[in-house]
Amino acid sequence: MIEPDYIPIAALNHYNYCPHRCWRMFCIGDFTDNQYTIEGTSLHDRVHTVGDSHREEVWQIRAVWLKSERYGLIGKADLIESENGQWYPVEYKRSHRGEFDNDELQVCAQALCLEEMTGQPVPVGYLYYAQSHQRQLVNLSDELRQTTIATLEAVRTLLHTGTMPKATYTPRCKGCSLFQACLPQAVEKVGRYREAE
Amino acid sequence: MGTIYITQDDAFIGKTDERLQVRSQKKTLLDVPMIKVDGVVVLGRATISPAALIELLERKIPLSFLTGTGRFLGRLEPPLTKNIFVRSAQWQAGENSPQAVHVVRGFIRGKLKNYRNTLMRAQRDASDPNSAAVAKLAEGIRRLEHAIAPINTTDTIDALRGLEGAGSAAYFGCFQHLLRAAGFSFTTRQKRPPTDPVNALLSFGYSLLRHDVESALNIVGFDPYLGYLHTQRYGRPSLALDVMEEFRPLVVDAMVLAAINRRSLTPTDFSTEPLSGAVSLSDDGRRTFLRLYEQKKQSQFKHPVMAKQCTYQEAFEIQARLLAKYLMGETDQYPPLVLK
Repeated sequence: MIEPDYIPIAALNHYNYCPHRCWRMFCIGDFTDNQYTIEGTSLHDRVHTVGDSHREEVWQIRAVWLKSERYGLIGKADLIESENGQWYPVEYKRSHRGEFDNDELQVCAQALCLEEMTGQPVPVGYLYYAQSHQRQLVNLSDELRQTTIATLEAVRTLLHTGTMPKATYTPRCKGCSLFQACLPQAVEKVGRYREAE
Repeated sequence: MGTIYITQDDAFIGKTDERLQVRSQKKTLLDVPMIKVDGVVVLGRATISPAALIELLERKIPLSFLTGTGRFLGRLEPPLTKNIFVRSAQWQAGENSPQAVHVVRGFIRGKLKNYRNTLMRAQRDASDPNSAAVAKLAEGIRRLEHAIAPINTTDTIDALRGLEGAGSAAYFGCFQHLLRAAGFSFTTRQKRPPTDPVNALLSFGYSLLRHDVESALNIVGFDPYLGYLHTQRYGRPSLALDVMEEFRPLVVDAMVLAAINRRSLTPTDFSTEPLSGAVSLSDDGRRTFLRLYEQKKQSQFKHPVMAKQCTYQEAFEIQARLLAKYLMGETDQYPPLVLK
């Protein structure tokens, strides 16, 4: 396998959701749409129109590439804003807050890139939830940064080795678009199965 | 969700927005959303627009070409998936490796048990338990039991092929007793070309089944040309033929018997070529057959391993995924689909 130079920021989010899903998407190229992914894609189609604009004192840049040499990260930000010289990322999500904590990781990874690109500290970021039209402040604490960097290293190892993380059946599997491909209950079910004589 | 069969010889397959359209002589024969299409099978000759072709490839929808009589010509398919792990596991299970022997046992056990269960059902359903036909069925079941019993203790693939041959001979030896409609008879399995209506239907059905199983294997990431039971000849999708085995009785034989016994098809739906004696379906008969095959594929049953409802169409992919899990070492057995 060719060593990936940069880790896609989105992979962190997927890894945190489920390492096996991350492996399916980034190591074997599996992808299937479901209701959630289609809603997300159409939301991002709207957000991802490259351009910049001003909203009062805020400079907004949409669909901008982010990169960090130090962390070997690459990805696209939905929206970057600058207010009074202070940069911060805004990540768009289709649902509402609080399902899982993977979205915070994604904002933090974007902030790490942004800090390197601007040379300025980025203490906060935002999550925008399309369903509630709410912006949620993400405090980029040391703890979140450490979790993000640890996840990044786990993803890097995964992409380098291609070793399949075990598929485990959890409540998250219900919303996963790769459920039919993964069959997370199959191993247990095959183990219990006794063929009729 | 389903496969689209195009039987009109001068049909044109096009695309408008997100829909696939089939037209002929300025009439629209079919207009379906792309998202509902799993596969396209052209029987005979049809043209396809470049836009439709690209759309099929991008959506990973395979397009197969068959002759009007159902002989497989070839297919256009999106690239193999990036899933090198599945293919690598497939290659590593070389001929006569313990894994290869295990899966071959599974394919054969699945097929022969399903054969046996078909005969047992016919035996139960017979109106006269003392008839000569029932005696022949009992004889066939006995011979099948003899072929099934040693499978799990047989260690070479060649010997397993022998059991498969013996079991198939036993089954087809009493296949005629499964036919209950006047005008149809069966003596032995005839291929290339089939020279009686029953063989013509079986061959046509297996050709369609092959298209579907090969698609499922491709989705999962397998190389359909590397098989374990069928390995002797190159240039044929051996793994598709392997995985097909357990499905032959369940899907094709069952629907062929139903089509004949329920008189959906009658002897007038067939024609015989002079000289060669090759038998083929009429245009109307072919349309009926395709509809019945599609219905069979979409019919639901409870998957014995996954313990939930699924269609045969879904089962092709489930079996391919279970095979991948076995070859990749996630499970310690490949369970063939055996249905009572």
